[in-house]
Amino acid sequence: MAEDQFIRFLAAWALVHETADEGWKAAVARGAGQETGSMGAGPEAFVDGLSAMVAEEKERLKASLAAGEVEPAGSKAGLESKLDDLLFEVGELRGRLESMQTTLDAVLAEAAESGEK
Amino acid sequence: MSRRTGVITRTFALHWARALPGARFGFAPRATRRAAFARATRLALEELGPAFVKLGQVASVRPDLVPPEYVFEFEQLQDRVLPLPASEIEAVICRELGRPLSELFDDFEREPVAAASIAQVHRATLVREVRPVIGEVMPAGTPVAVKVVRPRAAGVIEADLAEARRVLGRLDRLGLSRRIDAPALLEEFAASLASELDLRNEGRVSDRFAHDFRDDPFVMTPRIAWTHCSRSVLTMEYVEGWRLTEIDDAARAGVDAFHLAVHGAEVFMRQVLVLGRYHADLHPANLFVTPDSRICYLDFGIVGTTEPAERINIAQVLAATVYGDADRALCYSAELGLVVPPHKQREVRERVGELMDRTLNVPGRPADIKGFATGFLSVMADARVPIPAGYGLLVKALVTVEGVARAIYPEIDITKSAKPFATRLIAAHMARPDRIAERLPAALRAALRELAS
Repeated sequence: MAEDQFIRFLAAWALVHETADEGWKAAVARGAGQETGSMGAGPEAFVDGLSAMVAEEKERLKASLAAGEVEPAGSKAGLESKLDDLLFEVGELRGRLESMQTTLDAVLAEAAESGEK
Repeated sequence: MSRRTGVITRTFALHWARALPGARFGFAPRATRRAAFARATRLALEELGPAFVKLGQVASVRPDLVPPEYVFEFEQLQDRVLPLPASEIEAVICRELGRPLSELFDDFEREPVAAASIAQVHRATLVREVRPVIGEVMPAGTPVAVKVVRPRAAGVIEADLAEARRVLGRLDRLGLSRRIDAPALLEEFAASLASELDLRNEGRVSDRFAHDFRDDPFVMTPRIAWTHCSRSVLTMEYVEGWRLTEIDDAARAGVDAFHLAVHGAEVFMRQVLVLGRYHADLHPANLFVTPDSRICYLDFGIVGTTEPAERINIAQVLAATVYGDADRALCYSAELGLVVPPHKQREVRERVGELMDRTLNVPGRPADIKGFATGFLSVMADARVPIPAGYGLLVKALVTVEGVARAIYPEIDITKSAKPFATRLIAAHMARPDRIAERLPAALRAALRELAS
């Protein structure tokens, strides 16, 4: 009897999966078919659209795993971004200084000219 | 009444009187009536000259202060003036940069490539190498565009502005401009003018934009030569390309117009929803398509900003709009400050829902964002719901992006770009640990209720 209950539990588990899978596939199909004018108004439309995007991402993931692609290391990408930001800030500061220097030179030249007069 | 005040009053009166037949002397439907007077006002502003044209341009990005028909009519204002003689412009450059022109530029073209009320632009080449903030070094001989503030520009505009203040004040007292917040508009104009007169602001925003899109091979901004810049002079790389009005020539040269139109819409969404800074003064004159199939952004005169907390709400409103969910759109609009009073919510919700069906969800037709935005702003105005400044600017910017994308590729439906973009952002927000922790107990309770029912 105990074995029967266990099998019944597994059957219920499998049924939940099957039902969820059917619901998921239906949502993906509805989301993929969304066109202007055909989208059902309301929150369900968003869930369907999101499901379709997740399904597309899943296919991309499958393809990249099959091709043996490896994700770039997160820390390296983060470091590059930080470096880019820092280089930009330094460059921006240099730009400001160059423009200020130009204005300063112009004012000094004008002052010297008026002094000569 | 001064002579100029008289001219201003007569010009408006004349153009509004001419609009009366178009508005069937006030008996035409409201939208027709408003459109007729908006057109008359634009013609009056153009006739009155640069200060009024600038004022109209400022109004065209403030749907929170100005009715939607005026906002979209004022977009067409052309800021065109006769160019100043090159000698006057050269004098400004030499004074501001402290050197003779020949030490700064070769081949300075005396005929300007553009002349507007505040500044005019001349083409030249660099005498010596310049290192920009972003991108490769610009070697000697690089073609540049030298933008120079016209001498006396500020004085002329400010004098006209003072007259405009008087006239608008009078209209305000007479109740003739109750749908336009004239004092707020003039304040905005004064602030915008001060910022535009210092060209370094534009250069800094341009550099920041280039940095933000450094990983995007389809976007560019001109490199800035800071050694050749001051308050009244901005020297930038001269970009060859086609204006959006010449997009057919670009297509013939092999540019993929559809891809650029879709990408342009995505660039805007990235600015608003990810970076928090966006070009809020897009119009066909501020964009080029380059021979190597890139979009070149120019003229960062008006920049909008969004705070991190606002961005997810904007994404929610955008997603709700493209998915046709009026309740959700209004719920998240309230988070952005557009609050519909409880007793008007049902009516507003119904009207917004109808509007979505009529403009965004018509089978076989691309979504009409401009039609939706105009209708949406009208619904809010009719319900006397004040529109927050940032919200209005965003709505206007989104409409402009649609206009620009359609100038590149007329059949484009930008909701098709907006949908995946907003969906991805909301999904990312949904997966944030703090949000999961906040929502999980309620989700579990709901699941248990469902199982128990």
